[in-house]
Amino acid sequence: MTTTDDPSGKLADGLHRQNATGLGRLLGSGGVGHAEEGPDGTMTATVRIPEDELCFEPGTLILPHGGNLELTLINDDKNTHCAVLPHNGDPKIIWLVNHSKGTASLNLDGPGTYYYGSTTGNDEGRGLTGAIVIGGEVPDHAKLDRPPQPRP
Amino acid sequence: MTDYVDAGAAIPQMQLSAIKGSAPATGNVDHDRILRARTEPENWLTYYGTFDGQRYSELDQISKDNVRRLSPAWVFQAGSTGMQAGASTYSFEACPIVVEGVMYVSGPDGRCWALDAKTGAELWRYKHASPYDVSLCCGNVNRGVAVGHGKVYMATLNAHVIALDATTGEKVWDTTAGDVRAGESRTVAPLLVKDMVIVGSSGGEFGTRGCLDAFDADTGERRWRRYMIPKPGEPGSETWPDDGEAWQRGGANCWVTPTYDPELELLFPGTGNPAPDFDGGVRPGDNLYTDSVVAVDVNTGEIRWHYQFTPHDLWDYDSTMENLLFDAPDGRKLMAHADKNGYFFVLDRTNGELVRVFPFVDRITWGEISPDGKVTPKLYPDEEGVPVHFWPGPAGGKEWTHMSYSPQTGLVYIPVQEVGATATRRRREFKESIPYWGAGVAVDLEDFYGFVSAVDPLTGEEKWRWRYEYPMTASTLVTAGGLVFVGLATGEFIALDAATGEKLWQFQCGSGHHSSPSTYSIDGRQYVAVPTGFGGWVEGFTPGLLGAASGDSLFVFALPED
Repeated sequence: MTTTDDPSGKLADGLHRQNATGLGRLLGSGGVGHAEEGPDGTMTATVRIPEDELCFEPGTLILPHGGNLELTLINDDKNTHCAVLPHNGDPKIIWLVNHSKGTASLNLDGPGTYYYGSTTGNDEGRGLTGAIVIGGEVPDHAKLDRPPQPRP
Repeated sequence: MTDYVDAGAAIPQMQLSAIKGSAPATGNVDHDRILRARTEPENWLTYYGTFDGQRYSELDQISKDNVRRLSPAWVFQAGSTGMQAGASTYSFEACPIVVEGVMYVSGPDGRCWALDAKTGAELWRYKHASPYDVSLCCGNVNRGVAVGHGKVYMATLNAHVIALDATTGEKVWDTTAGDVRAGESRTVAPLLVKDMVIVGSSGGEFGTRGCLDAFDADTGERRWRRYMIPKPGEPGSETWPDDGEAWQRGGANCWVTPTYDPELELLFPGTGNPAPDFDGGVRPGDNLYTDSVVAVDVNTGEIRWHYQFTPHDLWDYDSTMENLLFDAPDGRKLMAHADKNGYFFVLDRTNGELVRVFPFVDRITWGEISPDGKVTPKLYPDEEGVPVHFWPGPAGGKEWTHMSYSPQTGLVYIPVQEVGATATRRRREFKESIPYWGAGVAVDLEDFYGFVSAVDPLTGEEKWRWRYEYPMTASTLVTAGGLVFVGLATGEFIALDAATGEKLWQFQCGSGHHSSPSTYSIDGRQYVAVPTGFGGWVEGFTPGLLGAASGDSLFVFALPED
């Protein structure tokens, strides 16, 4: 996984820290990362929960296309959290006690944005949400029979 | 620092619930059985109950004499976890399917359940991961599933069509049917015909090219696709500008389940509005096959005939709503259609010939349709920046929610909306996945009402009406017990006398209705099921209730067992 610019650094002071300007952390203000794709098309990535920051890092994970994602989750915080993650079939849940590490095998369609979060306490309200953003296009057979159209 | 504690692998959330994970195997639902659906009223086998779209049940245990004793038998709370697409505009719009005591029903955000239809126990669930940012014109909704061949078929917000194992909810196949980047989605309840699953497109406000697809029920492979906007040179293309790009973005989506005539082997989908909705200046011509009923050969996808209800639509008058099939006493094979434009059409369904047209709403100012079908527009947004008020508004005299027909009374029961709107033309350039309206629209916040209208389709005579202070926003269901069931925008589920319109019973469900009730029986006990949960495009059909309580529960009613 590679990490690009961290948009949270551009935010006004305090919006990305717990109990600074607000009580929690601004939603979705973590960094941006990219999943890595293996030879078989399976994608891998790692997200961490840093100590006292109440965010997933990277907060936005970009996948090149829909498919299977092997996600490693690491809780470096000194509090217990969890993650409820989007997955075709049923959302998946993993409990993440202090200083723990686990995995999630996810299947997602592309393109689009899928959110996830920690549903314990009010973690989501205090900022512990993340996004999985899937790029790419739908298969050719699913496209409308018409010339290419302008996009924004 | 010590090594990390092993948190293991994430598990499906349903493992932390009382869900059993499987449903009893039911008898095979195939084409022949759906053809005879009326002979087994204990089940609700297909979207409208039967292929003809009559939404009529032979069950009569619940009757005019005892309906006052009708009580909740069980309630299913759909609920949700986390952030969902269109969280502020979701609506529980499905029509529950029931097969031998098992109910299959879908909800917003890609959810589907198998429930014990006698107790409400959740047997299995499926959740299709829906992109939060998918383009949805009219809310996060799904209108139901099709069941057959041991599978449950569902369309998804990101334009996939999937098949689930009916006993486990496990996905069997998944076909990408449309392009979400182009603003396409799928919200329709699929229709199972022969060995095919019929699914129409959604995305009417995003300048897509509407279509109807047939997929192999076993594999998901697409058998045929029928575009509802012809390419240059194809029949009907002369109704679009021949030197422009309008046809490529013309709309005509089929976002409501078609009816089907097995003798003619014709599907009858309605088609949506042309795009842009209100700016006709960029698409001169009649704009076929928008705002039409299109008779489609189920075997090939070819168009056999069409009838356009609103040529060159300038009012957002989709004609996607159902085309109800019934036969005249002389045997003539007819079709009834209550259009958004406020007129009720009776056609000969063998050839599309107009038999009768008459208004079914009180206020029509957009134009006039003569008894012989001639359309004369009167009021429409024509000049840039000039507001124009018209009735019915874009939600129409009747929205997608369905009417019903009782062979007992010979009457059609129409849920009517009386609400107008003001549109101000604002031309814009087309871009994929961006709303393509061509106007600013404000729906009337006051001066609206609704009613259930009982109409004789053979004469056009309104036999009775049950008036309501808000527009009617849910489908009617009529039974051999002589009852018309319908939900109200203010939360009440009511039963009317099918012969007189007298209200005989009501129950407050706590949230408005925007769905289609169905009825079934188990061990000789009749049930009526209705999803509740007000939302979707409320600003279009009942803006005065935008602040009403929402919800997403399914209520099932029955008579006490004593």
